[in-house]
Amino acid sequence: MHYTLQFRSIREYLPLLWDAAYTTLYLSILAIILSVIIGCGLAIMRRSQSRLTRFVAVAYIEVMRNTPLLVILYIVYFALPAMGLRFSSFAAALIGLTLNSAGYMAEIIRAGLVAIAHGQFEAARAQGFNPVQTYRHIILPQVFRVIYAPLGNQVIAVILASSLASAVAVEDVASWMQTVGSTSFRFFETLLVAAAVYLVLCQTVNLIRLAIGWMLFRDNGVRR
Amino acid sequence: MNHDLFSYLPLFLKAAALTIWLSWLALMIGAVAGGLVALARTSRWLPLRILALIFVEFFRSIPILIVLFFAYFGLPVMFGIDISTFTAATLALALHATATMSEVMRAGIESVGRGQWEAAQSSGMTFGQTMRHVVGPQALRVVLPPSVGVYVTTLKESSLASIIGYVELTKTGLLVRESTGGGFAPLLMLGVLYFLINYGISLAGGVLERRYNVGTKPLLAGGGQ
Repeated sequence: MHYTLQFRSIREYLPLLWDAAYTTLYLSILAIILSVIIGCGLAIMRRSQSRLTRFVAVAYIEVMRNTPLLVILYIVYFALPAMGLRFSSFAAALIGLTLNSAGYMAEIIRAGLVAIAHGQFEAARAQGFNPVQTYRHIILPQVFRVIYAPLGNQVIAVILASSLASAVAVEDVASWMQTVGSTSFRFFETLLVAAAVYLVLCQTVNLIRLAIGWMLFRDNGVRR
Repeated sequence: MNHDLFSYLPLFLKAAALTIWLSWLALMIGAVAGGLVALARTSRWLPLRILALIFVEFFRSIPILIVLFFAYFGLPVMFGIDISTFTAATLALALHATATMSEVMRAGIESVGRGQWEAAQSSGMTFGQTMRHVVGPQALRVVLPPSVGVYVTTLKESSLASIIGYVELTKTGLLVRESTGGGFAPLLMLGVLYFLINYGISLAGGVLERRYNVGTKPLLAGGGQ
């Protein structure tokens, strides 16, 4: 192997990398926020009294968890326009990523809800709390502690999965890697740079997670 | 539903078989290599532990798409060899599966109490014998159910092989879509097929779980790709 790394030839593409990293981060953060909201709804639906509501939630979660994200993205970006629903690349990627991640978020949040003793619900009801108040003041704060660690994993999973947005022409880091690799013929260097960007993003999230976990739960001996 | 589409069904099923085979191969390599990494992570020798940790963290912090591109475009440039799309896909999936399986294996090894090791050691068993007769069977019960989850993840990730041009299930769907003039049905068909395969595997996993009588949650939130 006589391969010498030459980062000089990709230096001119680095400003583009900045935009690409911004797109990756922006897309991931939006998808995470939206999927937490939808995931909460799904998790609560799974505990509903109505069989139909439970079935809808379970069906959604199972479909999303058992279908590749790439296929979901293709369906949103290529197939839905055939039905008259046309999205931009970014919107399609955001929709696909959010729908997919919501399935996982729902399971994480449900695991948190299951961990809460039933007496908590009954006590809240006995106090005259309505369901919204019960969840807001009693249940969710406790759930948050339980789901903190898996939620962090899912945040990282979404950042990594957002790289598939490049398959529907979103100009993110993975797409930067493919474009610059094929124009500069320095595939190896662009791969290393892109890998480093994802590595830094994910490990930063990891550190932030540890720091926040330490600040919030240091007295409770909760797994971080 | 497009009428032509049913004539493509044999093609879809053949591609599905390729997808299952590709991910199974990657999972098997990942299980063996993951076992070694897990042993390295529980080793008494610190540098080995650190090396294994870096390996796992590295592959869990990098999108599989990049690993795939590295295998397909990076390695040929670096070593001046040609790599087939199948080899590149297997390699990338196997590396990723190794990182996740090593965590699963580690949980399995650690679930077996120290006393078991000590008892086996004091009855004169070698390391190999201890693994094979005492620790292995017990660890297997813990390892099996989450491995099913890793298989489902690997199977879903194998769809990325279509991006470097390996004609597995996803690529077949895209090709059929092109030759039938675009439209909704082929991609929907893909979604349905992947769901049926993976849901089938998950159900089989549930059966395993009940047979081995171990209640496990999905170990890793491998949410995404």
